[in-house]
Amino acid sequence: MTARTRAAAAELPISHREAGMPTPLVGMLLFIASEVMFFGGLFAAYFNSRASYAGVWGPPESAPELEILPIALPITIVLLASSFTMQFGVWAIRRGDHRAMTRWVALTLALGVTFLIGQAYDYTTLGFGLSDGLFGTVFYTLTGFHGAHVFGGAVGLTILVARARAGQFNARHHVAVEAVSIYWHFVDLVWVALFTTLYFLR
Amino acid sequence: MATTTLAPRFGAFRRSWVWDWLTTVDHKKIGILYIVNSFLFFLAAGLLALVVRSELAVPGLQFVNVQTYNQAFTMHGTIMVFLFVVPVLSGFANYIVPLMIGAPDMAFPRVNAISFWFLPVGGLLIFSGYLVGGAAAEGWTLYTPLSGAAYAPGYGTDLWLVGLTLVGTASILGSVNFIATIFKMRAPGKTLFRMPIFVWTMLVTATLILLATPVLAAGMIALLIDRNYGGSFFDPAAGGNPVLWQHIFWFFGHPEVYIVILPAMGVVSEVLPVFSRKPLFGYRAFVFATIAIGFLSFSVWAHHMFVTGQVFLPFFAFMTALIAVPTGVKMFNWMATLWRGSISLTTPMLFAIGFLTMFLIGGISGVMLSSPPIDFHLQDTYFVVAHLHYVFFGGSVFGVFAATYYWFPKMFGRRLNERLGKIHFAMHFIGFNLAFFPMHELGIQGMPRRISDYSATAGWTELNLLSTLGAFLIAASILPFLVNLVATFINGERVGDDPWEGNTLEWATSSPPPAYNFDVLPPIRSERPVFDLRHRHDAEHLAAEPHPPGEGEA
Amino acid sequence: MSGGLVGFGLVVVGILFALGMVYALTSRYGRMQDRPQPPRGVHLPPPSLLPAVLALGAALLGAGLAFRADDQPIANPFLAIPGVLVMVSGIVGWVRAAGREWRETDHAAHDDGGSGH
Repeated sequence: MTARTRAAAAELPISHREAGMPTPLVGMLLFIASEVMFFGGLFAAYFNSRASYAGVWGPPESAPELEILPIALPITIVLLASSFTMQFGVWAIRRGDHRAMTRWVALTLALGVTFLIGQAYDYTTLGFGLSDGLFGTVFYTLTGFHGAHVFGGAVGLTILVARARAGQFNARHHVAVEAVSIYWHFVDLVWVALFTTLYFLR
Repeated sequence: MATTTLAPRFGAFRRSWVWDWLTTVDHKKIGILYIVNSFLFFLAAGLLALVVRSELAVPGLQFVNVQTYNQAFTMHGTIMVFLFVVPVLSGFANYIVPLMIGAPDMAFPRVNAISFWFLPVGGLLIFSGYLVGGAAAEGWTLYTPLSGAAYAPGYGTDLWLVGLTLVGTASILGSVNFIATIFKMRAPGKTLFRMPIFVWTMLVTATLILLATPVLAAGMIALLIDRNYGGSFFDPAAGGNPVLWQHIFWFFGHPEVYIVILPAMGVVSEVLPVFSRKPLFGYRAFVFATIAIGFLSFSVWAHHMFVTGQVFLPFFAFMTALIAVPTGVKMFNWMATLWRGSISLTTPMLFAIGFLTMFLIGGISGVMLSSPPIDFHLQDTYFVVAHLHYVFFGGSVFGVFAATYYWFPKMFGRRLNERLGKIHFAMHFIGFNLAFFPMHELGIQGMPRRISDYSATAGWTELNLLSTLGAFLIAASILPFLVNLVATFINGERVGDDPWEGNTLEWATSSPPPAYNFDVLPPIRSERPVFDLRHRHDAEHLAAEPHPPGEGEA
Repeated sequence: MSGGLVGFGLVVVGILFALGMVYALTSRYGRMQDRPQPPRGVHLPPPSLLPAVLALGAALLGAGLAFRADDQPIANPFLAIPGVLVMVSGIVGWVRAAGREWRETDHAAHDDGGSGH
């Protein structure tokens, strides 16, 4: 600090911006952009593999065909429902109702865990594995990394529930809830794309 | 808005400097950590380059066997790109960007620290391959099937993949930090179009990192799955496609080279105006050219794959040639900045002008390679090695040294010695051209890259020997630089806030800055607030008596 | 192969030398000052060991994935399990630190403002 700068000081001390989107939310959106590109890379591998595959595209001969029932479609519905419950939780805390928010977020967590358990059970019934040919590789890589992201989201939801019960959220200060909800919707959208690609588009 | 101090975690007892640096979340310290760490890796990768050049000086295998040689050039490239040139420029950006926008720190200080600490651990993971049977040895681009489990058994490649995943995660977190900081933490008056060009180039660079690096992560995970878990992504026998790796790698790899060069272009755009005593010519054109380069960089990746026969040549050739246009705009703007300026050839200015000339050569050889017929002959020859070193080294590394000499006084309150700096520059410049210019001719004569030896009757011996001499001259040029560093730390010339009469906000605070950067900020009404501050009395003086502008500072 | 070890050894020696130099030089200026005060309206986290802890955990986990023997299904447990434990403790520590800082700042959390973690 010199006499020059002191003499010329015409501005207030630095104050951080309060207008516009809260910084943690900006950070979460940017992080989600990078995750979109990560799944984009995996999807690119899927489509490139699909396009250059010479044989019949699907599970190996020894395994049954991929079916949306009894597991894949129900867990999709479970995950979609969890997005609704998450959003109800966000709306609740925006109104200031942190008890309702806590209930909705806990329900979202339960639905997310149900999805993961269902996915794991589905893996045991498929009849093929990661090392059973190209389709097995791309199928397990894509769904496995999606599941890992759901798990990460579940961890985030657990932290939200813990903080909510400690009374840390109110109508004006709840950016963490908003951030986790955006992440959760993203994870759900990726699943919709995955489910459509793996089970329908093939 | 009250309260600010958060209680120190362990109370206020004296701690050692080790703890201080280990636990810091201050962007200035983290920036210095980045820079020191990167220079250490620079020295390591430089030694590996000397191994390569020593072996290639004359025909015959004199020093190393083929496996060791392959590891040497692989690790040289990997370390230089991922652990030196990108992190060192991120380090300068970490230090300088918050200062340039008038912010007290980055948006997410603890995440900033994580981004740093992943670097040395990731780098050590990559290097530890040497201890367990050999480091990765398939070229820094790690093409399949050579990098698959069949041809590269052993831990080296797996360590490369895992270590680089850590480094990549760190860069992605860092890019989130930079973008959030630039959009949310600018001081009042610092609109987007009043930001210094260095901040703009870091913004575009961070966006490229954010969008490209995850694709590399996906590819590296796919390769790990193939290598270790029985996957078939790249296995032709199972219906997979080895060229898929090239697509995924280069979709990341091409934006990566713009990640390497854009910050250096930003540095040059800061240095040239200060030492020409003229504003940067064409500020807005610069901004739009930078953004255009960012966009276009995602559309050219397959120009690295022309010879596979599996890519649509006309599109990628056209887009590659197109990206030369915004780059050319920048070139002309820099030259117009110099034109009729009052040039002072300080060391940072020398490196910046060196950047202009060397990057121009690298850019021209790049445009040559963008033409498929030419590329068919020159792909995987030493012509490509020449091109990439002219842009990476002649471009980015010159930019790194310009940044070092320019911002060292701000970071440490002392100016590096000019005479030693000029000796460093002279040896560096001559050594660099001696090392890499002959490689253009070697490539045209057909010398392939990534070979450990060549025939004595090929006629390549003289140029290789010349190139090796150049490489050793570059290595020697580091010595005056190191001597300069040590001598300056011990007893260098102390400087105040603004030793260079700079334009941007970092020169409006002390050298080094206080903990939260600014006690007060000057008024911000243009992209040159410190210049405006220095000349704020001009209008009055022009009306009154002929006084020199500014206060009576040094 | 011995060439590689020699090279690596040179690098390690070089690193230690450079680090020693840095230690000697940086111990001359800037020892512990009192905790600096941010300007009014700004709150930033205090120094924290957690970033380094998380990096260490990630390194152990990564090494566990890389140094996997053929009979281990996912990763080398001697490296991966400590790695996971260190990372989990780091994440838990982070969440607790965030909670503590939330309680210490005046009134409610300022997490709708300009600063983050």
